[in-house]
Amino acid sequence: MSYKDLHILVLLREVSDPRPPARVITRGAGISDRGLRRVPNPADLVALEEALVLKDRLGARVTVLAVGPARLDDTLRLAFSMGADRGIRFWDHGLEGGDAVADTRSLARILTILSPTLVFTGNRLADRGDDPVPALAAAAVDMPCIGAAISLTLNKNGVEGLRKGDRGSRQVVAAPFPCAVLFDEGATPRYPSVEAVTASLIASIEEWELADLGLPFWEAGATGAYLATAEYGAPRPDPVRVVTPDPQLPAFERIISLLSGGIKAREGRTLSVSAEDTVEGLWRILSEEGLVT
Amino acid sequence: MMFPYLFSPVKLGTVEVKNRISFQPHLTNLAVDNLPSERQMYYWGERAKGGAGLIITEELTVHPTDMAYEKLIDVYHKEVIPGFKKITDYVHQFDAHIFAQLNHNGQQGDGSNSRLPVWAPSPIPDVLFRETPKEMEPEDIEEVARYFAKSAIHVREGGFDGVEIQFGHSSLARQFLSPLTNFRSDEFGGSLENRMRAPLKFIAAVRKAVGNDFTLGIRMCADEMIPGGLDLGQVQEICARFEASGLIDFMDLSIATFYNLYLVEGSMHTPLGYTIPLAAGVREKIKLPVFCTGRINDPVMAEKVLAAGQADMIGMCRALICDPFMPKKALEGRLDDIRYCVADNQGCIGRIGLNKSIGCIQNPAVGREKEWGEGTLEKAAVKKKVMIVGGGPGGMWAAKMAGRRGHKVTLYDRNETLGGQVLTAMKGAGRDEFGVIARNEKEQVSKAGAQVKLGVEVTPELVQTEKPDVVIVATGSRPKEHPVGGADGPAVCNVWQVLNGEVELGANVCLIDYDGHQRATATAEFLANQGKTVHMITSSLFIGAELGPTQDLYLSRQRLLQKGVTFTPDIAVMEIAGEAGAKTIKGFNVYSNQWAEWGPYDTVVLAMGQKVNDDLYMSLKGKVPELYRIGDSVAPRKVDMAIWEGHRVGREI
Repeated sequence: MSYKDLHILVLLREVSDPRPPARVITRGAGISDRGLRRVPNPADLVALEEALVLKDRLGARVTVLAVGPARLDDTLRLAFSMGADRGIRFWDHGLEGGDAVADTRSLARILTILSPTLVFTGNRLADRGDDPVPALAAAAVDMPCIGAAISLTLNKNGVEGLRKGDRGSRQVVAAPFPCAVLFDEGATPRYPSVEAVTASLIASIEEWELADLGLPFWEAGATGAYLATAEYGAPRPDPVRVVTPDPQLPAFERIISLLSGGIKAREGRTLSVSAEDTVEGLWRILSEEGLVT
Repeated sequence: MMFPYLFSPVKLGTVEVKNRISFQPHLTNLAVDNLPSERQMYYWGERAKGGAGLIITEELTVHPTDMAYEKLIDVYHKEVIPGFKKITDYVHQFDAHIFAQLNHNGQQGDGSNSRLPVWAPSPIPDVLFRETPKEMEPEDIEEVARYFAKSAIHVREGGFDGVEIQFGHSSLARQFLSPLTNFRSDEFGGSLENRMRAPLKFIAAVRKAVGNDFTLGIRMCADEMIPGGLDLGQVQEICARFEASGLIDFMDLSIATFYNLYLVEGSMHTPLGYTIPLAAGVREKIKLPVFCTGRINDPVMAEKVLAAGQADMIGMCRALICDPFMPKKALEGRLDDIRYCVADNQGCIGRIGLNKSIGCIQNPAVGREKEWGEGTLEKAAVKKKVMIVGGGPGGMWAAKMAGRRGHKVTLYDRNETLGGQVLTAMKGAGRDEFGVIARNEKEQVSKAGAQVKLGVEVTPELVQTEKPDVVIVATGSRPKEHPVGGADGPAVCNVWQVLNGEVELGANVCLIDYDGHQRATATAEFLANQGKTVHMITSSLFIGAELGPTQDLYLSRQRLLQKGVTFTPDIAVMEIAGEAGAKTIKGFNVYSNQWAEWGPYDTVVLAMGQKVNDDLYMSLKGKVPELYRIGDSVAPRKVDMAIWEGHRVGREI
């Protein structure tokens, strides 16, 4: 087979940066938006890179898809700057409150409409772990799905994927086109050039809504979901170790330890360092956070 | 939201409390005829209205042998139910939950109210009440368990959402648990298992009475902090066993006993959040929700404790007595408007300990919520021009209240900042937090629309130029002289001059204490902190005679002694003589009448009490349409009365 009609759809999802602590919202189920940093799911970027490698080698067409509100345009622009050909952002308020089954219905519709040769995405989400939707959607359109893939070889009628097995074993599985591949590891995502980044800023992103899929509203979002959140228990915070008075000490010394050592609530840590060290320290923190390079 | 942990719901047994703030059990002395009263309904209701998720009532006595305080509610009579219903209905309308606390004080009481012997595990008298109790027979233990059960039924029928049993600092149950008070050799004493037997009987009886669908918790003493008593290690074990019984739903905590009551209700000399390590220690060992109480007086600290996983529920007591609306203000992010408790202890514990109804130096409405609570302030019928002279706590309160009622208020002070005598008092050693009183009101004065004029000395001429309808004189007081020979001599000064740094002092100082309160002790410590040798002479039985009710006595004396301050009590000082550097003091023992002489000292400091600053009031009398005077300028008292009178006059003009 010639690969010139190869069409790869890459699903890009966002995750919350796992480094700063997340805050649970007070009422209902979820994470508070405030102070949350969102980043593209690292494994999805690996999948995108794998697709772009195929584009470079074989001239495949790469379409990237993000499901979510307008802020996901940034992720799509990143994909453009890396070399994606077409970007689609699918979002509709009717999608809110959906579960895996409801979300699968819309993704399956998109697969049918775009009918790609290959569907790439990450195997797991960095913050929430497994996401069953891509595999379920593939199944819904009778597409084979290779999970936990670490590399892929194309042959005449399909692909061979090397994937992780139990206890470090490796397994090669074969599947015909069209096929979905969920990457666990793979090529390191490329770094876009400045020109590509500039160009991506004006690239046009297609916006799709539920109506574009021809999917009735009752099959999507909360109304289409089998699961509803009945109750949500906030996690019990893990204790930060505090020095408790040593029971072996005599009572009067325990009292002194409480009265002198308790938490000093209204004081912060004061460091006295030179201006150069301050600048250096701030610079290090900012670069660790990825705010300067 | 600023405080996501503090305002997240928590499940206590069958109840979901809307936030993590619990208004903790404490005596109010508001009950009438040993029945729940209307004042209690409004008192607890005000805190529910202010946003606390949970209210736990004061201890309700479960048995006739426990009448440690005259104004306890006898919960074992079913006559309490109608009153309970009124209280619980009132609280529930604010989306808050209310639990009742059941207690038997055991030996921590006496029989003078009940005319019955007090019951205890062993005939060991309590350190405060000093009455030898009757050693409980096994049938007495059964009877108390039955009464606990009966009382719990009344609680449930009264509409409460849950019940807490007091196993903490003052309780029969703790006396059974502690090797300090339990010397029994039968099945209720000796091993930990035996010592837990009676308390477990109480819990089991209550659980059986209320059923499994009702929240039940205990308030455990986290550390008795006394040699031979329970320590955190043992309490962790006890808590784990109580949890394993499967009978309780939450673990509230307190600390200490009557041996060290100053730890139960830490004053401003105690660090904020001083019990957090204990709560964290208990929480490490059990999965039940754990409460932490003790000088957590602001939402920021509460949030930190919750976020750090050191407790699941924050107990606030004085913080909400002082500002019932702190939770609401925190929720709305109005931290500037919170009136922070300073743990002065004068109005709450200081009054309760003397069998008076509960109060608060900073909140005159405490115990009078029906008349003075939130929403009771009405706009003035006639808008008046009000001139308030003196920006101390009394003046600030008068300005705030009058301003809120729509009067045109101007507050004058001759100093460059508001606060009055508070600004001097806060300079005493360890009294810095007293200054928060001024911080709490300053903003409120301008927010109430009052104009503030600082650095202005108000004279009768200025009043005549301004032509106000009302003048409120709040000019305060100043230290009074010692009426004995030599008190006006060289190198003699008063505590104010010392605290304000107005005088040069020598290295060897004698402080004559006719005050008995912080004015003397905090100044002596202030001097000792500067490395001076300080000797204190008082006519009282001991130094710090007025510090007992506020729980400041023990630690104040401890610090003074550790800093080398020496005391001579029982002496009436009659003469101060000599030059600077060689001051001598002559006086006689008020009991033996024997004369003696002390010295030489470099400097003599007088803590004599205050006299009024009433010159302006006297010269304005009869010359302005409405003239009032409030606070120390009427008669020098403490800050609570200045605020009380400022509040009242602001409400009434």
